[in-house]
Amino acid sequence: MTNFKVPVWGYWIMGIGFVAFIAMLIAYIHKNRGFRRPVFASPYVLWLIVFTVIPCFLVAYFSFTDPQGNFTLDNFKNFWDSNYNARKAIAPEDLKMYQDMGLSLEDLGLARDSINIDTLVFSLWMAFLCTAICLLLGYPAAHIMADREFKLGPTLVILFVVPMWMNFLLRTIALMSLLEDGGLLNTIFEWLGIGRQKLLNNIPAVQVGMIYNFLPFMVFPIYNVLNKMDYKLSEAAMDLGCNKWQVFYKVTLPLSVPGVVSGITMVFMPAVTTFYISRLLGGGKVQLFGDLIEAKFLSTSLNEWNVGSALSLVMMILILLSLGLLNKVDPDNEGGGMV
Amino acid sequence: MEEQRLISLEDIYKQYDGTTVLDHINLYIRKKEFVTLLGPSGCGKTTTLRIIGGFETADSGRVIFDGQDISGIPPYKRRVNTVFQKYALFPHLNVRDNIAFGLKLKKMSKDEIDRKVDYMLDLVNLKGYGKRGVDSLSGGQQQRIAIARALVNEPEVLLLDEPLGALDLKLRKEMQLELKAMQQRLGITFLYVTHDQEEALTMSDTIVVMQGGRILQIGTPKSIYDEPQNAFVANFIGESNIFPGTMIRDELVHFCGADFPCVDSGFGEDKPVDVVVRPEDVLLVGEDVGQVTGTIKSVLFKGVHYEMIIDAGHSIWKVHSTTMQPEGSRVGLAVVPFNIHIMHRMEEEKPREEAKK
Amino acid sequence: MKFIKRFYLGLVLAFLYIPIVVLIVQSFNAGKSRAKWEGFSFRWYEELFKDPNIMNSLIVTLAIAVLAALFATIIGTFAAIGIHAMKRRPQQLMLTLNNIPMTMPDIVTGISLMLLFIFTQVERGFVTMLLAHITFDVPYVILSIMPKLKQMNKNTYEAALDLGATPMYALFHVILPQVMPGVITGAMLAFTLSLDDFTISYFTTSPLVQNLSTLIYSQARKGIKPTMNALSALMFVALLLLLLVVNKRTAEEE
Repeated sequence: MTNFKVPVWGYWIMGIGFVAFIAMLIAYIHKNRGFRRPVFASPYVLWLIVFTVIPCFLVAYFSFTDPQGNFTLDNFKNFWDSNYNARKAIAPEDLKMYQDMGLSLEDLGLARDSINIDTLVFSLWMAFLCTAICLLLGYPAAHIMADREFKLGPTLVILFVVPMWMNFLLRTIALMSLLEDGGLLNTIFEWLGIGRQKLLNNIPAVQVGMIYNFLPFMVFPIYNVLNKMDYKLSEAAMDLGCNKWQVFYKVTLPLSVPGVVSGITMVFMPAVTTFYISRLLGGGKVQLFGDLIEAKFLSTSLNEWNVGSALSLVMMILILLSLGLLNKVDPDNEGGGMV
Repeated sequence: MEEQRLISLEDIYKQYDGTTVLDHINLYIRKKEFVTLLGPSGCGKTTTLRIIGGFETADSGRVIFDGQDISGIPPYKRRVNTVFQKYALFPHLNVRDNIAFGLKLKKMSKDEIDRKVDYMLDLVNLKGYGKRGVDSLSGGQQQRIAIARALVNEPEVLLLDEPLGALDLKLRKEMQLELKAMQQRLGITFLYVTHDQEEALTMSDTIVVMQGGRILQIGTPKSIYDEPQNAFVANFIGESNIFPGTMIRDELVHFCGADFPCVDSGFGEDKPVDVVVRPEDVLLVGEDVGQVTGTIKSVLFKGVHYEMIIDAGHSIWKVHSTTMQPEGSRVGLAVVPFNIHIMHRMEEEKPREEAKK
Repeated sequence: MKFIKRFYLGLVLAFLYIPIVVLIVQSFNAGKSRAKWEGFSFRWYEELFKDPNIMNSLIVTLAIAVLAALFATIIGTFAAIGIHAMKRRPQQLMLTLNNIPMTMPDIVTGISLMLLFIFTQVERGFVTMLLAHITFDVPYVILSIMPKLKQMNKNTYEAALDLGATPMYALFHVILPQVMPGVITGAMLAFTLSLDDFTISYFTTSPLVQNLSTLIYSQARKGIKPTMNALSALMFVALLLLLLVVNKRTAEEE
């Protein structure tokens, strides 16, 4: 850890400072006749700096320092080789001693290893699968609801909007209790004579959990774009000789691209970063990138903040890249993706 | 004259993001005068008004109000009130509270407020509307409330920013007369902004024609109409034929291939000028006696008169006349010297602020 | 064709809602089993309210949600009015910054805030969780007020000044009454989000101060107890109602 330490009275000073800032602001507003409304945003500007901007820089700062606060790239080397730090921690004499005893690095469990990068690749693969399946399931659903003749569409879409805001943890737990060994699904299987299946603590369970949680994020933006689309366009296309299928892939599909891109980003991002879905439905047997980060920060034995920060930074960059892509394809945010 | 000046703008300069919107404006407004700032959109007229109202500050220059520099005074301390373009009535207050807004801030007694609001409601013909919500009123009624809300504070100057822009034509004509009558009755100075030249001509004592952040001409409606100082003013105020010409000598100008006697002088000899002839000032005469001859290309019936387009070889004339000539016929055109207006060429024209005042 | 379409839509919705419905039904089951129905009872709900841990977390959750919504609404309302009055470029910058907490995945927001607290050696607990909640609530408050400000006739503020109001008076008597519906929606949204949050709370609090979400998570890792079903069911219903109200309000405003 760095030596930076705020004593108790420091918090008092910070608190009083904030209050004083507000008081000065009010005094300024009262006195200054040239006062302009943008000044009202200044407490929030201060808040943003302290609680959004500085924390982001802190992630970067911790990524490039060691626990003593010195600059290092080890955290990233550790990213490619999970045992890099551990191997480094062993004194050369000790290593020699172990070698003399006939123990290799493999025996010590310190060989070159790539858990981190493997987990990232696995996470990306899972997120990719989840996104693809959500697209396949969600596009038709959105298309059906956006049909002008389907009067219930605008009402039903609320059923997709509500889960977007609803606690994912709770929804994951609901799914978990359904899939459990003694859960309803297995009871039905038994009754059907299929016999109990192992439905939890495996990769497909995690995948289903991800789809279950993130499907609404695919449906809603696509619905939004399709719904706003001028239906006269498809009428015009039909008038010009397209059949229903041609109307779809020549008019509707190209025009819904912004919604699709929005949906893809909105599913892909949380799917890459989730940790509790894999923890609850994978029972600790399926590790995603999010779990890795969580473990670096919260597992009591490790507390490897610097390594965790480096992993977070990688994740942030990944997310910024996909956001940049989204902005390129859908600059006006037509998909309404960002809620 | 000096003591009559209520507001003076001295060398006002303003720019937004590097674009000049007001280019060193000088202007003064007398007490009880009805002044109109007239110009196309983007000419700087609304910005001028907002600087006087205190909603914008000029980059340089001074605003003098009743002998005092008020450039740094915020709007709520200025003795002017504004009628905004889209009325800006407070939607959460009813009609009465809207009008009473300014009075309540002055901590007036309730009786006095009631009395004044009632008087104003009466003045704008909206007696009995006090308890209504402002959104339930028609555009014309909202307009009257906006005027009442401003006037009830007894401002020394009322600033009006295209107040009739959102009304339909018939209502607009009515309100023009009402506003003018109100101004004369109350004896308040009005500074009025509009892009509608007809409105300006009907209501104003003085018109200030603006374009591109500059003042092109200041004068009475009649002088601006009859003696536009350049082609832009001539074109903007009413319809006109504008021809390039040469001033041969004083009181003789050459354009459209003929020499015309005129009444202007002092332009020098053989100087290029612009010549303005209003369509209603062109006389149709026999082919043999006309100063210019041409063929009638088209005839349009406009109600009060016929509008004819006449091709006179190298020039096209627009003519308004109560008698009609058939299309294709040859006619002679004549203009009496008094109706020929000579102007400096636009490019060389520097706006002559205060020239007319 | 029509039938197939609707059947498909029904299937997708069933996939989304069956787990929740089953969970709620199970919470009323008298027995412990998740499969066998042993009669209707409020047994688990009663146990829920007897559990001091859960009651404690409930108080923490509600206290945080109320306080966070309150502070976020105050900060956010002023900020929205300020941002609205800004010139184009600073406004763009502010809106981008405002978007960061919304677009960043919760885990990154949670971790970055956790690092802030580690770095400044603030002990994590109630206060840090509250600060974190305010941080992620404010952007949504601003987002619900902005449209109201845009709808407002810009000149009403100037009209108030013109009639002699000071900027402060104009703010409280002219701007605020006009954007009030947005402020209320924003406050409700902030309250809901705060109630709803798990990830950010998880990283910014200590195991000693838990809200319902972090409590449920720590318990669920060990397997689901019937009281947890009851608790989840309660939260589902509360969140669903809040969300429907907020949704209705935003729909009406548009």
